[in-house]
Amino acid sequence: MTVSTGTGAPVDQTRVALGQPLRIALLHGRGDGSRRTVAHLALASAAEIVASVRASDSRHFVAAAQALREARPEVVVVHADAKDEAPLAELLEALRLGCAAQQPAPRILALVETRLGEALRRRAYPFEFERFADAPALVGTLRALRRAGSDDVVLRDALIEDGARSLAATTATTALAVDVSDRSTSLVLAHPDGQIEAAHLVPLGVGDGADHIVARAGLDNVRRWLPWPIDAPALLERVWSRVRWPAAPSLTEAAILFEMALAREAIAHALRDAAEAGLDVGAMRSAPAILITGRAASFPRGSQSLLVVADGLEPTGVSTVFREPDEGRAERIAMIVSVTLKRAAKVRFMRAAGRSEARVVPGSFGFVAIAGDVDVAVNGPGVRGHGRSGALGVLIDARGRPLSLPARDSERIPAVSGWHEAVGATAAARGTS
Amino acid sequence: MTWRRESWTADHPLPIGVTKRAQVGEPVRAGDIIAAGATVTSALRVSGARRLGLSPEDLGRELRVRVGTDVVAGTVLARTGRRFARSVTAPIDGRLLHATVDGDLYIAPIVDRWAVRATLDGVVARSDDAIVTIEGEAWGIQGAAAYGPDAIGELTLVVDGPLAEVAPARIDVRLGGRIIVGGARVSAEVITRAHACGIAGLVAGGAPPAGLRVVYGDTVTAFGLPTREERSMPTVLCLIGFAAVPLPLSIYGPLAEMAGARAAIHTASARLFVFATADVGKRDAASPEDAREGDRQPSPSLAERDEVGAADSDLEAVQTGEELIPSADVPSLRER
Repeated sequence: MTVSTGTGAPVDQTRVALGQPLRIALLHGRGDGSRRTVAHLALASAAEIVASVRASDSRHFVAAAQALREARPEVVVVHADAKDEAPLAELLEALRLGCAAQQPAPRILALVETRLGEALRRRAYPFEFERFADAPALVGTLRALRRAGSDDVVLRDALIEDGARSLAATTATTALAVDVSDRSTSLVLAHPDGQIEAAHLVPLGVGDGADHIVARAGLDNVRRWLPWPIDAPALLERVWSRVRWPAAPSLTEAAILFEMALAREAIAHALRDAAEAGLDVGAMRSAPAILITGRAASFPRGSQSLLVVADGLEPTGVSTVFREPDEGRAERIAMIVSVTLKRAAKVRFMRAAGRSEARVVPGSFGFVAIAGDVDVAVNGPGVRGHGRSGALGVLIDARGRPLSLPARDSERIPAVSGWHEAVGATAAARGTS
Repeated sequence: MTWRRESWTADHPLPIGVTKRAQVGEPVRAGDIIAAGATVTSALRVSGARRLGLSPEDLGRELRVRVGTDVVAGTVLARTGRRFARSVTAPIDGRLLHATVDGDLYIAPIVDRWAVRATLDGVVARSDDAIVTIEGEAWGIQGAAAYGPDAIGELTLVVDGPLAEVAPARIDVRLGGRIIVGGARVSAEVITRAHACGIAGLVAGGAPPAGLRVVYGDTVTAFGLPTREERSMPTVLCLIGFAAVPLPLSIYGPLAEMAGARAAIHTASARLFVFATADVGKRDAASPEDAREGDRQPSPSLAERDEVGAADSDLEAVQTGEELIPSADVPSLRER
């Protein structure tokens, strides 16, 4: 990647990368708030969580120590309140028993108050212990560790955050960046004032992180998005082969649809983890501007990227969707209007050129060919919003939230095929359109 | 992926409770026990420095028993004073496992014993309570993924060629303790049968992911699943991938050449090590893969060997499990 620093200025060569994988263990207090805080820190720093231990963990001392030894953490992130000092001290003893001989020894980074920090510092001997007063500083340290001293590396997660901030500033609304790459999945919600909430899940992607999607979501949850029947062993073999050769580009339609299925589940699981870490998932789903990047933005057709986001993210409002492939230019692809209906309703579109209406029935899913700036209002559910449709027009998604798929193949496959065809994501649909 | 004869390193992570381990510089052979210890369970915390009226830093000086030692109930762990002595005794039989920063002691009951075996002929390059690393020279090949515990045994070919898949019927108890080369692919049935027959490990071009899930559970991934407990799980090394992958001649040929040699599967690194002489198969060959196809005499299949063995009554017999079989079935490089 080349970054220009201005006219006539020298051009800096930089590399965009995920950085060095960072294995972190989370030790947290008994409260849910503490669990959410450490989870948020891990997600914000794109570290790989290898162990998570609560101060009131039911495992006995030796089992906790053994789990920490097998996890081989490079960094241990600690967060707790003063009342958790005693159980946390016990966990640090388990860490000493489990990881004292580990080379290099894990570093302990604690987001705790000063007094507790001093108490824990003594108990953390012989590990390096660092106390942080605020979360951004701790996240910055974790990112510096991932950069491993390579100043020319631009971390992919930082770049996505910049993209989300920039979109929020440009559109003066909240913006969500959705990135799915080979080994990571990111959701970054940026506000116009520059504040962000970020969740970067590693390793969870459509390349060498694909088997983690299957391990987390289950094979059936990936299979349900495919518009053709496939048996579980064949699908699993496909996933594992993709993991071994992640760089192979998806050339056939089957491979593309398979990658789309993985990307949907990756986004859905990123949302779930973000919700567990206390991030505002509701705001992510209702963001007026959505930017798709990475492999999810690199499908041959914009409608394929759009369908992945519509199914994986399940937006709830009116959103303008952009996509920016790794090796391509950003483009506005469509507007999504998501409505949950109990009975038929009317959607009103107001443009400079005039007004128009469309009748929407529950379960309908398809494009309305409208270009330019559009104000949308749906009677009934009270959905209103403003956006700009892209090359594809306005996608009306009345499938309902949460999106549920029929369990039986005989009902599910026609439904999923229908959605693919409705947006032109398959060759068959393109042939008929 | 290719065969290479060079110096390799193999890490052997140790569980908690190590009692003894090989020291740095010590020569070891694959299969030797390089560390042994006790499996301990829920530990008791015993007040140490406070009870003795010492600062935590001074507790070490007064300990009568080294941390890591097995003790019986009532053993004096630490003691101070002469006339008005204070002491800390073990409340249970077990192991003095850990001394805390506060000067307390953890004692845990012993429920089992464990041992870790070397997977490489060589010398110990690193040895501490967490890991023993061995460095040594061997023929080695990097596989795609490995599952189960490390395995050590005699390399044995049970297929007729690189395209063949091993049939479950070819696996029986006579192959117990060996590392079986299963050709293009090993099925879940072969894996479970091999485990039941006491076979040390299976090496093949691939193994079906669904079969691996059946054997190792749903959390298994394409990156392998090294486990620690011996014999609790079968060992499988996928050399190329997960589909039925014919082994290239450059891989299969040397495997056939080295059948009968001692071998080891190091699952953490997904490597197969074979302890054969450097000039195996061909006197001037630098590497087995360089050997020409026509010069090679692949090992006979088991069926062929059975015929040879039946015809040759003078062969020395070896004991495998409960049966005596002719040693022609376990050809070694020395015999060639």
